[in-house]
Amino acid sequence: MAVRAVFGVRETIGIVFSSASARIGLAILLVLVLIALLADLIAPYNPGERVSQALMPPNEKHILGTDDLGRDIFSQLIHSTRLSLLIGFISALAATLIGTVIGLLAGYYGGKLDEVLMRITDLWLALPNLLFTILLVVLFAPQVGNRIVPIVVAIALGSWPTAARLIRSAVISLKQSQYIESARALGASNARIIFKHILPNTSSLIIIEVITLMGNAMLTEASLSFLGLGDPRAMSWGMMLHYALARNAIYLGMWWWFIPPGLMISLAVLAVILIGVGLEEYFNPRLRRRL
Amino acid sequence: MSLASFLAKKIVSSVLTILAILTLVFFLVRLTGDPFAELENDPRITPETLQALRRLYGMDKGVVEQYISYVHNMLIGEMGYSVKFSKPVFDAIMERLPYTLALLVPSITLSNYLAYKIGVEMGYRRGSRLDITTLALSNFLRATPYFWLAIIFLYVFSVQLGLFPLYGAISPGLSFPSFEWFVDYLWHYAIPFLVLVVRGTFIFVLYVRNSVIDILGEDYVAVARAKGLPEKAVKSSYVARNAMLPMITVMGLRYAFIIDGAILTETVFSYPGTGRLVFEAIINRDFWLLQGVMVILSISVVLANLIVDLLYALLDPRVRSQR
Repeated sequence: MAVRAVFGVRETIGIVFSSASARIGLAILLVLVLIALLADLIAPYNPGERVSQALMPPNEKHILGTDDLGRDIFSQLIHSTRLSLLIGFISALAATLIGTVIGLLAGYYGGKLDEVLMRITDLWLALPNLLFTILLVVLFAPQVGNRIVPIVVAIALGSWPTAARLIRSAVISLKQSQYIESARALGASNARIIFKHILPNTSSLIIIEVITLMGNAMLTEASLSFLGLGDPRAMSWGMMLHYALARNAIYLGMWWWFIPPGLMISLAVLAVILIGVGLEEYFNPRLRRRL
Repeated sequence: MSLASFLAKKIVSSVLTILAILTLVFFLVRLTGDPFAELENDPRITPETLQALRRLYGMDKGVVEQYISYVHNMLIGEMGYSVKFSKPVFDAIMERLPYTLALLVPSITLSNYLAYKIGVEMGYRRGSRLDITTLALSNFLRATPYFWLAIIFLYVFSVQLGLFPLYGAISPGLSFPSFEWFVDYLWHYAIPFLVLVVRGTFIFVLYVRNSVIDILGEDYVAVARAKGLPEKAVKSSYVARNAMLPMITVMGLRYAFIIDGAILTETVFSYPGTGRLVFEAIINRDFWLLQGVMVILSISVVLANLIVDLLYALLDPRVRSQR
């Protein structure tokens, strides 16, 4: 990372808007958020209700046909936007929070605490991520009942180490700057230095990390749901693909069932990646003019 | 620090990591609850049978006692008996492991090689048509769920064109060491392999490209050019060579995380490998099988890390002196 690694929140938002790819990403994300909010208005049917004959190909009444229980696939696709975006965002936020706390403690206090926390972070990074997340979901999610919260917790617990490392190195370089030294000379407490001086200056990094982790979190959620570990009462794109595979939609050539959900996941993750690319271009000027 | 003491330090920390993962697995697995709890409600099972089952699997002892015998057994390579597959854990794993390794190790290696070759070209010819198309494809494939890409390949090549089989690793009825067996194996192998190579190449090409662009801005490249070295020499001995260093870490660690790719690939193609095995072990709460797979996995993760560190130290002498 370049000379100046820390920016304020408003500045970071300005940077996002200054990049073309980030603007495209934001636009896609905005459309998806609108779809999620207005799902009840856009979807022609209740996604969980039997509305027609089973396994119908696309027709005027059902533009993406119906599934094996006679439910409208297009309505499922629209309603799935909610869960996929929500789980992606909240688990990325939670992972960044855990990572920020650990990175702050390790970077600021250093010494033995730093050593122990970084050992744990390294061990965590050595675990196969998806396998570990599956294990946590099976451990903590009830067979019946709310599985969404355990899934969010499992994804967050599987993905905080990168955030911890990033924040730690930023804190270490900040700690040596003169204004922190002056604050300490004036007798400011550790808590005051951390919350007033260090944390606000890492906000740009925190925003970038939430964005990066959100793409991964959406893909992990899709993988978990695809493997049949999602909440059966709710719908997500990964879950739709799980049912499509389980009901042989691929062998039967029902492309209208398994192509749209994958495209939606790709679109959502692509939006996040484009925003990330915009930020990266700014912070690493050598990569600018790349698109 | 000499290479020998560097090596010694790495090996000690590797052993500690394996022990830490073993311990984590033991306690995580025991949090999943009693694997025999479901049998309690079965009227055909008497409490005596249940007791005997628990004793058979060592579940009647205390946690500490179980832990000690677990570590001891793992150290002597005794992995226990799989409840789900009714055979020794070691046999269950060894039956499946070759399929996973034979699919993933070559595909990771080939995609690493392609990503490196294409990435260097892209970085060198930034803004060219090759660069821009590959970049767009790469960003799209990074966003695509891996298993969905596999579904699309399966649909196009196997369902629509009918060129390849729909599922499995081998057609039933073929005996192992024969020419037909091998041809049939390759026929099943083609599509999963292709998906893994395509995705791996396009994802990792980006890392190489960006590090080549970084290196092209370095002073030593300007110096090499200024002193009149032919561009070919600059490219091969300054740019490509230095781009290799960060790649060893990123691409080497792909071998450590083989299992993550295997779980999804093997689900889509109903491939009988370790990925499905470990997934079934978790879902069925088959403690012994899960422990066995995790032990083998953690050892391979640590080994891959160790090899990456060593390669890095061999290629970059600065690393040896630093730590």
